[in-house]
Amino acid sequence: MTRRLDDVAVGQELPDLRRVVTRDDVKAYADAGGDQNPLHQSDGFARGVGFEGVIAHGMFTMGHMAACVVAWAGDAAAVSAISAQFRATVSMGQEIVAGGRVRAIDAETRTATVELWVTSERDGETEWPIKRGEATVHLT
Amino acid sequence: MRGATVRAVNPEAEGTVYPDVDFVVEPGRVAAFRAVFGQADGVPPTFLTAAEFAAFPPIIGDPALDLDFTKVLHGGQEYELIRPLREGETLTVRPRIESVRVRAGTGFLVIAMDLFDAGGEPVARTRSTMIERSET
Repeated sequence: MTRRLDDVAVGQELPDLRRVVTRDDVKAYADAGGDQNPLHQSDGFARGVGFEGVIAHGMFTMGHMAACVVAWAGDAAAVSAISAQFRATVSMGQEIVAGGRVRAIDAETRTATVELWVTSERDGETEWPIKRGEATVHLT
Repeated sequence: MRGATVRAVNPEAEGTVYPDVDFVVEPGRVAAFRAVFGQADGVPPTFLTAAEFAAFPPIIGDPALDLDFTKVLHGGQEYELIRPLREGETLTVRPRIESVRVRAGTGFLVIAMDLFDAGGEPVARTRSTMIERSET
């Protein structure tokens, strides 16, 4: 069910969405999304271009971020815009956490603007696979 | 021919419009995409990436653009849905090079696409920022 305008407030936080990224996930994503770049499937290729091994697609991380806001919105069709800037890369076995916060509400158009991000802990440091993401969500 | 020292994506390609590409919102593929992200129903908003990848080959292969896709990193992505995609529909994808900049041998390329339905009505817009890392 789509989220109601009355149930949304500026500053409200979206529930975190966590997952550990696996090679099988990334392969399934490549097949569904159509990006078969070997950087995301071959450790040898990835090492040849300066990475320690296969990295997840930026769009895999953004898809996870989208899943976070879709879960909050209650309906995929309620999300009418979504954007992200990619920062840190994501390796296999790494846990990523998507989160967000309501930045603005427009009662007239019944929409919320939501800030989104994806973080990951590596060697005790917080990395930002997505630092600045945003979505527009239609409310009922 | 451009500079002999460092090659990069060609700024003169800015504004290039590529031929329309048809893209079918295949229900099986939408279901596979949903499954990756644990979604129960609907078309995930980032499924638009599948339409972009359907339209990329002529861009990646364009000798006038001269993009080295093996050196490309995805810098950012924007999607706008004028209405939700409908499973089973065929969309027309119209790609263009919105901007090209080269700084210190690193190329910054923005590929924009407009998507239309069978009636010619706009359905969605995409903007993809690609970073072509310089050769060292």
